[in-house]
Amino acid sequence: MSVAWQFYISTVLIYLGVDVIACWGLNLQFGVAGLVNFAFIVFQAAGAYTAAVLTLGPATPVRLGGFQQYVGGAHWPFPLPVLAAGLVGGVLAALVGSFAIRRLRSDYEAMVMLVVSLIATSVATNQVGLVNGPNGLAVIPKPLATMVDLSPIDYQWLFVGVTAVICVCVYWLVHIVTSSPLGRTLRAVRDNEAAAAALGKNVTGLRMLAFVLGGVIAGISGAVLVEFISAWSPGSWLYPETFIYFTAVIVGGRGNNLGVMVGALLVPVAFLEATKFLPQFGPAGLTAALQWIVVGTLALLFLWFWPRGVIPERRRRFPAAASTPARRSLIRARSGP
Amino acid sequence: MNTLVPAIGFGIVTASILAVAGVGFTLQFGVTNILNLAFGDIMTAAAFVAYLVTNAGASVWVAMVAGAAFGAVFSVALNRFLYTPFVRRGTRLFGMIIVAIAVSLIVQNGLLAIFGANFFSLRMPRPTSVHVAGMVLTTVQLAIIGIAVATMIVIHLLLRYTKLGKAMRATATDPELARNCGIATDRVIDLAWTISGALCGLAGVILVMNVTAFTDTTGSGFLIPIIAVAVLGGIGQPYGAMLGALVIGLASELAAAVFSPDYKNVVAFVILVIVLLARPQGILSEIATRKEVAA
Repeated sequence: MSVAWQFYISTVLIYLGVDVIACWGLNLQFGVAGLVNFAFIVFQAAGAYTAAVLTLGPATPVRLGGFQQYVGGAHWPFPLPVLAAGLVGGVLAALVGSFAIRRLRSDYEAMVMLVVSLIATSVATNQVGLVNGPNGLAVIPKPLATMVDLSPIDYQWLFVGVTAVICVCVYWLVHIVTSSPLGRTLRAVRDNEAAAAALGKNVTGLRMLAFVLGGVIAGISGAVLVEFISAWSPGSWLYPETFIYFTAVIVGGRGNNLGVMVGALLVPVAFLEATKFLPQFGPAGLTAALQWIVVGTLALLFLWFWPRGVIPERRRRFPAAASTPARRSLIRARSGP
Repeated sequence: MNTLVPAIGFGIVTASILAVAGVGFTLQFGVTNILNLAFGDIMTAAAFVAYLVTNAGASVWVAMVAGAAFGAVFSVALNRFLYTPFVRRGTRLFGMIIVAIAVSLIVQNGLLAIFGANFFSLRMPRPTSVHVAGMVLTTVQLAIIGIAVATMIVIHLLLRYTKLGKAMRATATDPELARNCGIATDRVIDLAWTISGALCGLAGVILVMNVTAFTDTTGSGFLIPIIAVAVLGGIGQPYGAMLGALVIGLASELAAAVFSPDYKNVVAFVILVIVLLARPQGILSEIATRKEVAA
């Protein structure tokens, strides 16, 4: 395999890893807990900015020739910025959730989230001192690059490995949540909020938990992405990007971690990468516009024909309480003479 | 003080545009419970229709009518051929939001694909400046205020003195009961989309009359204040939306004058959050609680 192809494939794999992580996070919120988080990309962005700033080191003032201004720069060794990004994603989610997750009807919730997303872009763009405004952050050092002495292509594969390890960790986290009684409760809240509340479940608390966990995962995905591409600006996280993740989750099968992984492979990766091989035609920007039209149409088609996705969520059946032998004998004993 | 008085003038102009758009948004949302997030993009599309009409040599008044007509036809078609079929197929609230966002992206990028990433402006007679009570407004801006006031009066008369207003309120409260009472709810819903679409188109045209240049994203950028207006006024309350438009229009222009023009939308957002925190029942108004989409 030529070096160019190796570069391409490793890059696509890293993007896939980032998208899979992000889709798991969104699936936890949207697929499992039924939260319509249209600000998802904001949490990814927050994680990316955190990781970037914590890797870049303190900002050089403009008078000393610094070309980017931001707050809280530090030189943290590799895994720490990623963990901090997850933390910031979670804290931000708790903050946004404190006013957005309040038993609102899901369309109001979506409306508020959409507004959060637009406002976050506006603040990050206009508060230049915060994260360098519209120009964003650049030349973010690559993790471990100074410690390991590798050729660029070997470094690419190292990064693929690192991304894979993070993917496995995140999968482990989402799997624990979705396969545990907690996941069952979350699905119950999603499917019938009133019934779950009647059984004494803290509906708002549970939704908040799923929201914060999703925020943590979104933050981590942003950190991995920014450590790889070394640059981040408001243009990288406009609100339609969230829609791509939503489409991926719907196409893959909401509520199903495996399905969502397939969705991440199909929509952001296969679909948007494949178009790079098409010849450019028409004026600049036409291809991008058509891409969005196709993604929108794809979402509509799936919602119409396969609303449960390529790999639908498994229907879980639990034996009725009275049908298990132990219980039955208990009931018999109680209702005895 | 010197900057505040002109800001009030601009605030009234913004409020006028917001009132037209906000009343349209809230009427449709209140009756059908479909959060039409493509509203801003339909505004842009109507603006492009107006652009084509003025380029063909017609006056801006004709363009306004054309924009409103386009908005009405497009909205009714959108509901008939896309939203309603999805609702009948069992798509729930959050599914409908995805559908609406998909429409929004398709419309916006469709305009981008057709017209290209350029700046456009309506061909209009050069406006002259008028001094009103210390505020300097252009004749175009005065016309916008006049159009908004006239539109609000028409809407008021329509809702107050025709059976349609009553039928709309009935449909909004309980579509099934309304149908059983002999109200042709399908027709009421169609009419709600028609009025909402016409107001949407009109708002799109007057919005781009007020700016020097517009692009494919002009309308969608206006969506936050529209949502804030609808929420502040209480979903489905046209009079609330009128008041909300005045509050948000003035507040955002004053904030632009005092802080920075970049924070116009932030004011709308802050108001939205305060309403949510302080009066969540304001957003969950009586007609909107625990209700699925109507079709």
